[in-house]
Amino acid sequence: MTEKITVALAGNPNVGKTSIFNAITGSKQHVGNWPGVTVERKIGKRVHNDLEMEIVDLPGTYSLTAYSLDEIIARDFIIEEKPDIVVQVIDATNLERNLYLTTQLMELGVKLIIALNMTDLALAKGDRIETEKMQEFLEVPVVCTTGSKGNGIEELLDEITVELHKTRTNESIFTYDEKIENRSEELKAILEKDLFFSHYPLRWFALKVLEGDENILKKAKESDKYPEIKKVLNETDSEMLEAKIADQRYKTIQTMLRQVCNINTCQLSGSDMVDRVVTSKTLGIPIFLSLMWAAFEITFTFATPFMNMIDIFFGWLAETAASAITIPWLASLIGEGLIAGVGAVLIFLPNILLLFFMLSLMEDSGYMARAAFIMDKLMSKIGLHGRSFIPLVMGFGCNVPAIMATRTIEDTRDRLITILIAPFMSCGARLPVYVLLAGAFFGKDAGIVIFGLYALGILVAVVSAKLMRSTILRGEDTPFIMELPSYKIPTLKGSAIHMWERGRIYLKKAGTIILIGVVAVWLLASLPVPGSTHAFASEEVYGTTQSVIGVIGQIMEPLVAPLGFDWKIAVALIFGVVAKEIVVGSMGVLYGVGEDDESLSNILAAGAMTPLAGLGLMVFTLLYVPCFACIGVIKRETGSWKWTLFQLAYGTTLAWIFAFVIYQAGSQMGLLA
Amino acid sequence: MKRNYRNIELSFSALVGVLYVFFGLLHIVEGLGIDTELAGLLFVPGDIPGGFCLVVIGAVFLNGSREMLQGINAGVSFLYVGILMSLVFMAVYLLIMGGNLLDSFIVPDDYEGWSIIETFRPGIYLGLLSIAGILYWKDSFSLHEMLVFREGA
Repeated sequence: MTEKITVALAGNPNVGKTSIFNAITGSKQHVGNWPGVTVERKIGKRVHNDLEMEIVDLPGTYSLTAYSLDEIIARDFIIEEKPDIVVQVIDATNLERNLYLTTQLMELGVKLIIALNMTDLALAKGDRIETEKMQEFLEVPVVCTTGSKGNGIEELLDEITVELHKTRTNESIFTYDEKIENRSEELKAILEKDLFFSHYPLRWFALKVLEGDENILKKAKESDKYPEIKKVLNETDSEMLEAKIADQRYKTIQTMLRQVCNINTCQLSGSDMVDRVVTSKTLGIPIFLSLMWAAFEITFTFATPFMNMIDIFFGWLAETAASAITIPWLASLIGEGLIAGVGAVLIFLPNILLLFFMLSLMEDSGYMARAAFIMDKLMSKIGLHGRSFIPLVMGFGCNVPAIMATRTIEDTRDRLITILIAPFMSCGARLPVYVLLAGAFFGKDAGIVIFGLYALGILVAVVSAKLMRSTILRGEDTPFIMELPSYKIPTLKGSAIHMWERGRIYLKKAGTIILIGVVAVWLLASLPVPGSTHAFASEEVYGTTQSVIGVIGQIMEPLVAPLGFDWKIAVALIFGVVAKEIVVGSMGVLYGVGEDDESLSNILAAGAMTPLAGLGLMVFTLLYVPCFACIGVIKRETGSWKWTLFQLAYGTTLAWIFAFVIYQAGSQMGLLA
Repeated sequence: MKRNYRNIELSFSALVGVLYVFFGLLHIVEGLGIDTELAGLLFVPGDIPGGFCLVVIGAVFLNGSREMLQGINAGVSFLYVGILMSLVFMAVYLLIMGGNLLDSFIVPDDYEGWSIIETFRPGIYLGLLSIAGILYWKDSFSLHEMLVFREGA
């Protein structure tokens, strides 16, 4: 008769667990979700030696501490469902990290088998792992496998059959120092008195309580014995004990590795070699800065001829429209409104495409993950979670997905800080403003100025995070583990697709929200103030203080005059809240692009604005209120109007102060006159 | 595969490293407004961030030669990454040159009296050394390459 058993497959992410699962179960798989959550649950079946095995693929985890949902799912399954056997798939090329999970599985008292996977790669690297010694040390069976080729699978299944009927478990294989052991025994004695804890491995439960595991403490609170547990806890520094326990687990692992592994060789793959340099303590950040500078230099310089082509095209289009349309207001709407406004935005399409092409080259090659790793040290120094850098880098594309990406940050304070500082990352929508003004006022140095603005955004974000961390959002750091993917040679096709995705969004925006925005600006710039005798869209009204927009601008002007901005800039900034590109589109309409052959850049450089005010405007655009879409997502993700309004007020205040200092101090010192 | 690193890797790293640092500093000095007679002759523009990038590439090479000198074979990683970085920057400068040339045809008025040689940079001709390097060590530029060193390497 066939016996039915459950086998759980556990392991770190990317250790080849899925290939082992596929090799065991073949096509007999069922994919669903874990109860109550949207984490994928895969179950397969296999009959071997009269055993009907149900194989459950647990989520990949680095440990069984309740830091993430995946860890809780894996842990709860092992404790609550009590699988007959747990097979831990271990990456043989990365033993130390993988064995940490082994220590925790052993403490859970499960019947464990180790599938030492990727042994072919380990051999190729020169690793010599003595599996018999490893088996002896851990007192669990170790089977060598190569999941991708199906090697060792039959041996693994045989081992499951043998191990199933053994009674031995390994709950106490690791011993800690006297203090931890005494405390754990004390707790164990309390736990034994309550039947509520009977289905938990008591030593493991006691250790978790000592470590201050929130999920376990919640369970402990349900017991009548909690006051006694609490008493022990009051005499314990959980944080210190947690670190001590982890440290002792690693020490045990290292002791074992010295005995079972040939550690006389050290090998480097191509990826390791690159990592050795780009993640180096001293050169990592300078290399990152150099590559980013190269990306911005290309974005500005190489894009120039393509920008000029688009500029010439729109100039011709505006001229043709003006001469072909005889109705003055319609000619103005088409020439000075639509073509000038949308053209002023579309001219920057080459910059957008180039910047995203280069960012996707960095992303696809695997370098961006290293950038996050390098910056992690800096992030930790400012008290932020290393994981925060990834959403911030995404912010270079668009702040909306960047804010949404903060969902991966478990700590609520870290997440809130990251949401609040993410809008300071220069998104693609701000780039047209930078390119326009830097090109108009800084000529050959435009690339450096744009790079400086991106750097300023990061700096403001970092300083703000530090400020918030030490004042309104104090809290403790949580550990950060990041998997660095192997380097890949990015494909031209892949990068071109990413580039086009961004370009398509930009074009779509130009044809929808920006178009509506510039028409609204044109309409308000053409509407005469009530009581005026001048006609709609007449020369006396259009874009002057006799228009409705002129009046609005003049009301706002006192607020921005100390920054060197006139009323037209005030209006452009208000419309820029809808979408940042509209700042440029509005300026195109208000400064009369399309009336003659001059480009907006030339009009500004000819005296419509001073270089200092131009620099201040770039900084103001970087820091002031984000766009509507971004405001919406801040509200949704923080779930609070208070924090949303705080971000808007904080950013705008900073923007005003920075622009004020640039303009006033620069004027006093006679800079950029 | 097993390798023995010879003097050629060490000497190449040291030589190219020194050249990159020298030219990088020259960019920075020119960028600070200090006129050096060498600058015109060697096509060095006043460019502080560009100079910083060349210094960084030079530092990568020099760090490799330092490690190799100390007997750390893994120091060769710096040589390979230095070569890759210098090629990236060579490509960047060539693209900038190409962009300027194209622009001079589109808006010729903006380029009156301009010559393509004005955009010629040391980053371009220094990159030629790296091309020689990549041809010489071409088998090592594979992400699947495994280099095995003795302990402490």
